Amino acid sequence: MAAERSGESTRSNDFVLSARKRAAQKLITQFGEGVLFVLAAFVAIIVLFIFFFVARDAVPFFQIRGFSEFFTSSNWYPADDPAEFGAFAIIYGSAMVTLGSALIAVPMGVAAAICLSDILPFSIRQYAKPVIEMLAAIPSVAFGFFALVVLAPLMQNSGGALLMWVWWILVSPFLLLTVIVAADLLTNTIQDEKRRQQRYVTLVVLFGVIAIAVLLKVGAVLNGIQIITGTNALNVSIILSFMALPTIVSVSEDALQAVGRDIREGSYALGATRAETIVKTILPAASSGILAAVILGIMRALGETMVVWMASGNSSHVPEPWFNYLEAVRTLTATIAGDMGEADQVTGSARFHVLFAMGLLLLIISFISNLVSERIVVRQRKILTGQ
Amino acid sequence: MNIGTRKILDRSFTAIGFGSIIVMALALMVVVVPILTNGLGAVFFTGTVEHRKLLHEEFQRGDTQDLSSEIASSERYRAKAYAILSDFEAELERMEPEQQGKYSSKYAQVRTSLQSLLGPLPGDSPAMLTRNKYGQTRWEKAEEKLHSFLYESKWDNSNSDVMGKEYFVRRSLDFKGTSLAPLFPYVENNLENMLLPRFTVYWGFLTDSSVDSHFFGGIWPEIQGTFFLAMGAMLFAFPIGVIAAIYFTEYARPGFLNSMLRSANSTLAGVPSIVFGMFGLAFFINTLHVSESKSVLAGSLTLAIMILPTIIRAAEEAILSVPKTYREASLSLGSTKWNTILTVILPAALPGILTGGVISLGRAAGETAPIIFTAAVSVGSAIGLADIFSSPTPALSWNIYNLASEHEAAAEIRHVQYGMVLALVSIVLMLNLSAIVLRARISKKLKG
Repeated sequence: MAAERSGESTRSNDFVLSARKRAAQKLITQFGEGVLFVLAAFVAIIVLFIFFFVARDAVPFFQIRGFSEFFTSSNWYPADDPAEFGAFAIIYGSAMVTLGSALIAVPMGVAAAICLSDILPFSIRQYAKPVIEMLAAIPSVAFGFFALVVLAPLMQNSGGALLMWVWWILVSPFLLLTVIVAADLLTNTIQDEKRRQQRYVTLVVLFGVIAIAVLLKVGAVLNGIQIITGTNALNVSIILSFMALPTIVSVSEDALQAVGRDIREGSYALGATRAETIVKTILPAASSGILAAVILGIMRALGETMVVWMASGNSSHVPEPWFNYLEAVRTLTATIAGDMGEADQVTGSARFHVLFAMGLLLLIISFISNLVSERIVVRQRKILTGQ
Repeated sequence: MNIGTRKILDRSFTAIGFGSIIVMALALMVVVVPILTNGLGAVFFTGTVEHRKLLHEEFQRGDTQDLSSEIASSERYRAKAYAILSDFEAELERMEPEQQGKYSSKYAQVRTSLQSLLGPLPGDSPAMLTRNKYGQTRWEKAEEKLHSFLYESKWDNSNSDVMGKEYFVRRSLDFKGTSLAPLFPYVENNLENMLLPRFTVYWGFLTDSSVDSHFFGGIWPEIQGTFFLAMGAMLFAFPIGVIAAIYFTEYARPGFLNSMLRSANSTLAGVPSIVFGMFGLAFFINTLHVSESKSVLAGSLTLAIMILPTIIRAAEEAILSVPKTYREASLSLGSTKWNTILTVILPAALPGILTGGVISLGRAAGETAPIIFTAAVSVGSAIGLADIFSSPTPALSWNIYNLASEHEAAAEIRHVQYGMVLALVSIVLMLNLSAIVLRARISKKLKG
């Protein structure tokens, strides 16, 4: 009992800190905050280290071989004697598959984001989001395996028919829409209702016949195409677009959500349909955020290694003609992954350092596009919150 | 535009949106379904007597008595085929040199083909590689081999405009009138009796180590390697990430320094994964010398810095979503800031932080590029816990690439590749699913 009472008395003294104790506590707090800061700054240190160490091994290459060969020549013979390190075709291959995947993923991703933010009811949205997350979670090597083992043989054996069906399924609804809209626009000015109707029907039939002819003709041409190799730029672009989609969808959905309700309601009040509201009001307001999403998605495709390494064919040449997506290409990431094993026994050689030069190039591109997309997002947020 | 067209446009706009979500779901299905169906084939399949023989000899599994009676019954049927072979060999000896030359190369093909179907034939020298010690262990593979035993594949290149077409010619036509002719119908009709196919569930695929570079056996070393790498990465990244998130949410004051740190975080999140691999090689191995060459430790460190930004972001979000009232109540009771963080905020934010951790764990397990130069080897046995500081390990993600693209007989072991992909995808998706479920429960709880 006595001990307890004495404990109470000391406890009551605890609330009054002596000057020394207060100073000690302050010191401890500051020290603790310092430790926290150092650990938080760890990320920044790592970023600096990554730049430093990749650049440290990249610079010797440019010292040995200079810049012009790397960026302009297409002769990539690193193992020959004398070796040639022309990476233009490789950089071109990277750009090509990235662009291809963006062409597929951006329209689809933005459409899906619009659908998620403005069209679907909440109950369905709940189920759509996990699908996107799952797509994002599948490891890249599984996508690469799929591209190599399933998609590549399919393309090689029945590529033409596949292209034809994709063309028909994807393009016929759009052509139908174009026919209807074009006929409507051309008959818009006619005042007499009956003549207008007649003209409208004739135009729809006329355009319809043209559209079907185009559809069949292009379909037949596509059907005639023989894909020599299934591991080509098209294959990789399709798979990379699957991988870029989740990023594009989720970031642009955020941007669309950030556009306030009042803007939407204002547009509806003026009599616009939902499509018009979205296209003419919401998309312009969210455009910079969507741009940021596109940049991030493209970066995912550009930095992806396993899919392109397994399924792009790894042949270092600029396709003939330059837009031929059915030829094998080689990309920066795949070159780094593929050649490092042979190169690192001879650390110090140009063959080793050229790979780091490629890594540095990737790093700089990703750094710049990250900064840009971040600036864009910050600016959009400022504009939308009216600051 | 008239109102009808506007309506059509509006509807079709909606349809495009729905369409792209459906396409996305289809893409997921198209990728996952073949992986699932073919991947299950690595565990559930129709195994032959050769498979049971292999299990018994390599892993000492299975009932010796049953097996020897099975082998005896299959040998009875095989004996007749072997007899035909030796008859023909004797006939070949007696032939004119000219005819002998004509038959012997064709006969060699037949013999190799039968060898790959049934295993070593009598009179063969003992096989060096395990893959040559046994016949086909899987029935569907045996049927493929039977086809190439019965038919010779030829290419029709007569039309130079189109790619050559493959066509098949029965081998029995080449041996018409010789004593080998009856072999073909005999093998075709009695293959089941020779191989005794039976539905097999081979859980050993997940727990056995591989035999003869993945021709047989399982993928345990890869699973274990993936586990070590991902867990190691978490061990480094999780504490640092959570502490950094606490700093960002509770202590950081807005300003130049803070925005720099945030920029650094998003930069790190955007670095291509292969560059992490290069950095790991240049920094952890070539500069810090954490190990002589590739090691689990170097790989884990590389993966750790890759998943750090994800963990920080998830933890930040979780901490920010803790209601302000919790914090205020705790502070008003006189507890210090640090005490509030430890006893009130972190426990409340823990499920959210764990969700981020689980997703990052999945990412670390699935990533390939960072471990190519830092931790992964193509062949190797499972390593002990003590070896993680010095030795590299096989890992699921790397070995999928390696088996599919660089293995000498990649087309022969598709089932192993599919099994590996399924194992990896199901690990990653399971982690993600649990994160999704966890998050749904948190949001329900927060709503009350």
